Amino acid sequence: MTKRTKKQLLIYLGFVGPGLLVYLFIVAYPVFYSLWLSFTDYNPNKGGAWNFVGLLQYKTMLTDPYFYHSLKNNIIVVLVSVFGQIPIGFILAYILYRKLVKAERFFQSMVFLPQFLSTIVIGILWKRLFSADGPVSRIIQLVSHDPSAQFTMMLSPKTIMYPIGFALIWMYTGFYMIIFLANLQKMNTNMIEAAKIDGASETQIFVKVILPLLSGAIAVSTILAIAGSLRGFDLIFAMTTQGLQRNNAMVLPIFMYQTAFQNYSNSMRFAYGSAISNAIDVISVALISLSNLIGKKLNAGEEF
Amino acid sequence: MYDFKAVLGKVVSYVIFISWALITVLPLVWMFYSSFKSNEELTRDIYALPHDLVFNYNDEYVVISPSLNLSYPYDPETDKRPRLIIESATISPTRRLMVYYLLKENLPETIAGLKPGDTLKLYELPPKIRRSISWRTFWFNYSSSFLRGGLGYKFINSLVYASFSTFLIIVFGTMIGFAIAKMPFKKISAFVMSIIGLGYLISINSVIIPLFLMLSKVHLTDTHLGIILVYTAFGLPLSVLLSTQFIRDLPGSLIESAYVDGASTLRAFYSIILPMTVPVIITISIISALGIWNEFLLVLVLASSELTKSLPVGVYSFSSLTSTQLGWQLAALVLATAPAMLVYFSFQKRLTEGVVGGAIKG
Repeated sequence: MTKRTKKQLLIYLGFVGPGLLVYLFIVAYPVFYSLWLSFTDYNPNKGGAWNFVGLLQYKTMLTDPYFYHSLKNNIIVVLVSVFGQIPIGFILAYILYRKLVKAERFFQSMVFLPQFLSTIVIGILWKRLFSADGPVSRIIQLVSHDPSAQFTMMLSPKTIMYPIGFALIWMYTGFYMIIFLANLQKMNTNMIEAAKIDGASETQIFVKVILPLLSGAIAVSTILAIAGSLRGFDLIFAMTTQGLQRNNAMVLPIFMYQTAFQNYSNSMRFAYGSAISNAIDVISVALISLSNLIGKKLNAGEEF
Repeated sequence: MYDFKAVLGKVVSYVIFISWALITVLPLVWMFYSSFKSNEELTRDIYALPHDLVFNYNDEYVVISPSLNLSYPYDPETDKRPRLIIESATISPTRRLMVYYLLKENLPETIAGLKPGDTLKLYELPPKIRRSISWRTFWFNYSSSFLRGGLGYKFINSLVYASFSTFLIIVFGTMIGFAIAKMPFKKISAFVMSIIGLGYLISINSVIIPLFLMLSKVHLTDTHLGIILVYTAFGLPLSVLLSTQFIRDLPGSLIESAYVDGASTLRAFYSIILPMTVPVIITISIISALGIWNEFLLVLVLASSELTKSLPVGVYSFSSLTSTQLGWQLAALVLATAPAMLVYFSFQKRLTEGVVGGAIKG
């Protein structure tokens, strides 16, 4: 190595080094730390004494009824995202793209807004809106002419995921709308023009031309929706009160949080929590692969 | 025949869009105007427009005697000047929530001589005091959430986290971006880029347990520094990605001519590259700052004392503690969302571009 390249390398490292070190220590290292933790019985009450225990934490998890309960709720959240937020976002983006409404900038900015508000604040707001004496109850009273009617879905374990699903759609649909809109706008319009000249109808253009061109964007959105839904914590945390109600609506990240940071009597709380956290990653990789597989099957079918 | 289908499409489009826009906006509108309503008004009619806190000219006040459940805005031990303590009879009456301590020396004798239990109307007071009380009544929910929830301090904490972390994200991000885009060592650069790109898959939520353990080992939990470092590290992937893309497209001849003039690499970076990178720096700053402003779990786990809590955590605990004071809570919610909305509406176009760029390429 010549003296010149050595000096250049030093300068290069001077530019990359500081940021990269912070990144490696705080983002990359914890991933391995978390993996290691989940195979130990790390005991924070005894100053962090630990032994390797193999798959013990994962075995505990698979026999824990709370795990299955949170998994079920989390799958509901994933389904709401994939089959609620994405289609609605797509329809809204398509309407904007075809310039079917005026004041499109106004509509766009309104629908996109919740994306940038604090999820905790929005969660608290929806909690108030859905409360027994809240604005939603009042609407029900006005519509049903029954002054004692109340919105009770938040109170029953059977129905609590409906209002939560609604709030989730409210919060995130705008994000997918923007993604689709950007992809629609950079789409090559020649094919649509050609299809129009060939006498294709609006529906035919949509199904045969636009949808296939957007399959990439749909795939990306699905990945983002799955990963985001499995990690989503704030909104459901804020919409529910600690105790029975939050347990009814528990999703995996909340299960992880309660295990690691609220269940002080469990001496293996951090190890068990890490196992849950790693399980979330495994589940999200599995679901993303599954969605890719389904996407490929569908695409293959369309090509006859 | 007139194109019936096109008209139908338009009508359906408008119906969908207007209803969706209303669903999005109405809850926020309700939050804003209701934050100027007293608790009694909210119980009476949850949809009515604010009245009691706004039109307070005729409000009645009751003179009360000093007691233990009052929180004095001055030290009653040292400040012995005679005062008339009055409490509102309209807003949270008898709950000692809206109490004013008027110096008797500023009052006309007829009012200064009132005894506990006597009542007076707001308009009977001297104009200066009347205006002050009137103004404070209007902002009652906001001042209460500020003082009782300690939200003013948390507001500043949130500002500190957002600004310092964003600054570091920009400094580190553009430095790495410059090195990757404009320096030799392409193989190392590709490696660095792929490692940092993986950061997109990792969120604070997914490594919160090891983060907590690591930071407790080095005594950085419950410190501003620890929280800022974590935000910086997790903000880097987006910053590196966007600034690398941007700097790569800048003409290389500019830097070469600077080198010919004898400028060092560092100098070329900050006097030539950085000024040209401002557009993408703005985009990265807004996205990072908004994300940090709204982040919740990290501070919830790391901050154990009131000194380091951020606004979302403060608003959350305030709302669980004062679940009966809906007006105060709504004011707290507005305090936490208003700055984000301001930034959103001022920089909307850049935000949209940044989000799309980050999501599509990431």
